[in-house]
Amino acid sequence: MTKSKSSSKFSIVLRLIWRRGEGKFALIVLASWVVVSLVSLVWTPQSLWATDGYHVWAKPSVAHWLGTDGTGADVFSWLMAGARTNLFIAILAVVFAGALGILLMSAMVSRNSALSNVSVVAVDALISIPTVLIALILAVPMGASVAVVIIACGIGYGLNLARIARPQALLAANSDYVGSALSYGASGFSVMLHHILPNAMPTIMVQLSLSAGTAVLAESGLTYLGFGVPSGVPSWGHSLATSVKFINVYPLTVLWPGLIVTIVVVALNVFGDVLRDAIDPVTNPELRRS
Amino acid sequence: MRFVIRRFLLFVVALLAISVVIFAALRILPGDVASVMAGLNAPPERVAQLRSQMGLDRPLVVQYFSWLGGLLQGNFGTSLLTGRSISSTVAMRASVTFPLIVLGLIVALAIGLTLGVVSTLATRPAVRSAFHFIAIVGGAIPALWGGLLLILLFGRGTGLLDVLPSQGFPEAGWGNFGSALASLVLPALTVGIIDGASLMRYTRSALGDVMNSGYMDQAMACGYTRRQAALKVGLRLATPQLVSVVGLMSAGMITGVMVIENLFALPGIGAGLVTDLGNRDLIAVQSELFMLAAFFLFVGFLVDLLHRFLDPRLKHAVQGGVQ
Amino acid sequence: MPTNSGAHGENDATDNKTPGTNENETAAKVAGGAVNATGVSANVSDTNAKAAGSSADIGDSGVNTDAHDNSSVKASKNAAGSTDETLNAHVKGVSGGNASGVNGGKAGKGKKKGWIWAIVAAVVVVALIVAFVVIRGNQKVSDGMARMHKSDSVTVGLKLAPTNLDIRNQSGSSLDQVLVGNVYEGLVARDSNNKVVPGLAKSWEKNADGTSYTFHLNRGMNFSNGDKLDANDVAWSINELMTRHYHDSESLMNFKSVTATDADTVKLDLTAPYANLLWELACRPGLVFDKNANYDMKTQAVGSGPYTVAKFVPNDSITLKANPKYWGEHKAKTPTIVLRYFGDDNAAVNALKSGDVQVLAPVTENLAEPFVKDSEHYRVAAGDDTDKYVLAMNSKGVKTSDVRVRQAIRYAIGHKQLIASRGGADKPLGGPIPSLDPGYEDLTGLYPHNVDKAKALMKEADYTPDHPLELRLTYANTYGTELGDQLRSQLKPIGIDLKVNVVEFSTWLQDVLKNKDYDLSMVDHNESHDFSQWTQDSYYYNYSNQKVKEYYNYAMAASSDSQRDALLAKAARVVSEDAPADWLFNYRITTAMKAGVQGFPLNLNQTLLPLYNVRCMTTVK
Repeated sequence: MTKSKSSSKFSIVLRLIWRRGEGKFALIVLASWVVVSLVSLVWTPQSLWATDGYHVWAKPSVAHWLGTDGTGADVFSWLMAGARTNLFIAILAVVFAGALGILLMSAMVSRNSALSNVSVVAVDALISIPTVLIALILAVPMGASVAVVIIACGIGYGLNLARIARPQALLAANSDYVGSALSYGASGFSVMLHHILPNAMPTIMVQLSLSAGTAVLAESGLTYLGFGVPSGVPSWGHSLATSVKFINVYPLTVLWPGLIVTIVVVALNVFGDVLRDAIDPVTNPELRRS
Repeated sequence: MRFVIRRFLLFVVALLAISVVIFAALRILPGDVASVMAGLNAPPERVAQLRSQMGLDRPLVVQYFSWLGGLLQGNFGTSLLTGRSISSTVAMRASVTFPLIVLGLIVALAIGLTLGVVSTLATRPAVRSAFHFIAIVGGAIPALWGGLLLILLFGRGTGLLDVLPSQGFPEAGWGNFGSALASLVLPALTVGIIDGASLMRYTRSALGDVMNSGYMDQAMACGYTRRQAALKVGLRLATPQLVSVVGLMSAGMITGVMVIENLFALPGIGAGLVTDLGNRDLIAVQSELFMLAAFFLFVGFLVDLLHRFLDPRLKHAVQGGVQ
Repeated sequence: MPTNSGAHGENDATDNKTPGTNENETAAKVAGGAVNATGVSANVSDTNAKAAGSSADIGDSGVNTDAHDNSSVKASKNAAGSTDETLNAHVKGVSGGNASGVNGGKAGKGKKKGWIWAIVAAVVVVALIVAFVVIRGNQKVSDGMARMHKSDSVTVGLKLAPTNLDIRNQSGSSLDQVLVGNVYEGLVARDSNNKVVPGLAKSWEKNADGTSYTFHLNRGMNFSNGDKLDANDVAWSINELMTRHYHDSESLMNFKSVTATDADTVKLDLTAPYANLLWELACRPGLVFDKNANYDMKTQAVGSGPYTVAKFVPNDSITLKANPKYWGEHKAKTPTIVLRYFGDDNAAVNALKSGDVQVLAPVTENLAEPFVKDSEHYRVAAGDDTDKYVLAMNSKGVKTSDVRVRQAIRYAIGHKQLIASRGGADKPLGGPIPSLDPGYEDLTGLYPHNVDKAKALMKEADYTPDHPLELRLTYANTYGTELGDQLRSQLKPIGIDLKVNVVEFSTWLQDVLKNKDYDLSMVDHNESHDFSQWTQDSYYYNYSNQKVKEYYNYAMAASSDSQRDALLAKAARVVSEDAPADWLFNYRITTAMKAGVQGFPLNLNQTLLPLYNVRCMTTVK
């Protein structure tokens, strides 16, 4: 019952997003991102490991649609394969951020005043430490790895999420229906799950879709600095960072990865904006009817 | 007042906690400054000799407390590698990073506030969506790439318009004011344009919230036009929120400029941190990280206080004891 | 185009006096303004005009790699054309923005938006100031250049930066590069062919069995602080080195004693002959310091060379000034030499293009293309060096102790392809001794590129592409990711699944050099005369061969250089046959410089960079 209800809700939201021009753009870009990622697992125009020292930095040709890089490998194939790493990072960072954010949010609106006070102040204090610094501290013992990007983004965006979702959650926590649920003997956990979380969910969803975009941006910066994706793992940040060195001689190769990142991040941000309207019952009458 | 004290105590506790975290994280790191100093062909005895000369063979707890003791006296230590005091090195680097941040903020504010206000006041849908587009695309550009595009457009030696230096900082530092400023223009634009786009979004949403509130109706009832009401009352009410955003943004810029400093070869705080870490100059790295963290925590602390102070609604709430 | 008076007021301030101009006109005006501005600076002198032309040229080749036409007039026209276009586009964007703002304003009916325009005005003012400062800055530079024949100052762009100046404790060739021969001088010196030549000592002789050397010093030598330099300083410096175990003290093998027999004579005794002694004394162990001076060696330097360190910014730059008290023949030709360090190759190339540096050593070959093409203004040349890119294969590693695997790897690597991908200047190297070192012999024929043979060897060891051997390659991030990526794909067809682990240099030092925890490792061993590595069981190669040790010991005890060289060559051949490593190539330094730069050494310039002869001539027509 609840499952079919939520799935119908999901399709209503999706339909509404699709109906708007920018929503269409976002959905198409995001869907192609997923498709390209999956395809790259089984097929790329050229093997990622097909290097050719005699043809480095080649111009675009039939064999190499966007030319070759400094090892003679196919730029297009690396960009395709980069999609999956970035998708992986974005998804895991968002999951991590969501889990951490919801946990902190719950602590912040907890009835235990010591817990809520400490968590509110801790979040306020920690939120000012930027993601790059967290990544730097993490990269110190861990070395460059995908995990550094995911954890750093997860922590940074989780804190942010908790702070942004708190007012909604607080409003719900102080409402009459939560009061009555508690008076009927409902546990704190069940109240959180059934009453508070659903109220905060729209804010959380929107914030997470924005975080996904920021994670993709963070990946390119961290990889350039040497804390991010390690060598041999395709990612857009990797493509950008390796071609940056040769911008003087081969400025074109640096354009593609940046362009792709920009388009994907725009799509994620637009998606967040459209989602905000779509899941708000005030602006979406269809949602009210269901 | 209770709020201020409580917030300050938290600030101190957080600093202590962070000093432990930083110290511990750095000790897990493979490699040490002695082996970097000794190089490829040195026998192991030479590395051991250097380690004991530098006091790296003392127990970790002793090392931690001697560092912390120094911190309490305002002494950040001496770099094992360069032999210079860390505070003077950081001060030198800060003389690049802080002006860069200030310039970046000016650009961001000029772009973000202006476009934010203009787009809120715009009534034509086409105009509004044009601004919306600018904000969204501007905020989605990777800083690294944005910087590269600017270099390709304006960089001296590489750019289409051969006008601005894109690499390095002048030898004489700010002694050569003109070229020092010139070398910061492209980096500041890179930082500023990207942060300006996000500031534009914040401005619009903060101002938009106020515009839909009863305060505006009241102002308009008093005879203000919509535009006057927005500029006189709306902005005043949106200020606290914007101050928070700008405060956090300026703090975030310090590390945001890390990529930019590396790209434009500026000897600033971010680029220096990466170098020191590579050399395993741990005393330098831990003091620098600590200073940065302390700075961020302090800005967070300040922003909270300011927010409370600037927002008349919150102030009344505090005085009324509702808090 | 609907406008209102508020907008015009603002436009007036920016010199645009016709209200309602269309966008294209504005664009043309702005472009014209820019052209005027360059015109003004070009009028300063003829050279300047030429410089402007050349920079357009460079800009063009930098952006459009297709440009085959070298006619500078055409190139600059092209550049101007594209400049206009960008400006057009730019201004269009801006005025488009203005227009919408204005539209919004009209719709809002209000006219009091003063403060918004105040901000805009502030931005415009800031931009104008910046533009002014920039143009003035440019003029200053060109003014200075136009007047001189020989520049008072030359700026050299280098790559690896020293973190401190303590040459007795801090390792790294970047210190030798800047200090040896420029600031500090050795008892003897070496030339650009790596041969020992007189230094502080004008001559020397050794006894019949090679255990005692007598050095005769030049007279009237002094340090930059005015102190006299005599035999006592020499003996003191070497004694300090040995008793305090300073860096490289272990390379002064068989050392017994050093004494000053009189003010101009130093006697050095050995317990047994050591054929590399003189060469080692030309490096750090032979440096002579002022016995009576007291200074912080990390931040200052007091030496007897033609230059003094005037300013040192760690990781950034070193300013050398001619030593006014210099005693010898290598008097500095350029009063000030600034060494600037660029971690980023791109930044380095831009610095040469924009004239911030006059020499770049090394320049990444692939990036030097624009300079090679523009031979009128730049000179690009490669010099020999002793850098050996060593792919070490852990001889005691679980997987690499099998000699068939190691041999297969050597057969499988396409060295010529690696070199081609880097631009083609490097030399193939088949063994541990490079051409500038004693004992060199071309060993590239021992393991020629032969994938079939490699496959067969791997099959013998029970590995195929379907059942590959997994190996881990660990190397420092300073070498870039390209080499690892290429090795991975070259080793794949013979049944090796290479995992490339690019780490920080300090991590490499710990994991590979200290703990020997690796399968394959790659590092640039740039030191000269470092063959003894292959005779030390404790070194990270984990290599041990009694025959090699014997040859080496005989070589070090040899009485003549030719005998020594023959024995070293034999030892090197044995090492290479055993395949404890593959030598990917002998890196040759590519140096790019402005056409007027003279006297800059090309060989060995990453470890030995005598600067006294360097000068930059600017021609005035």
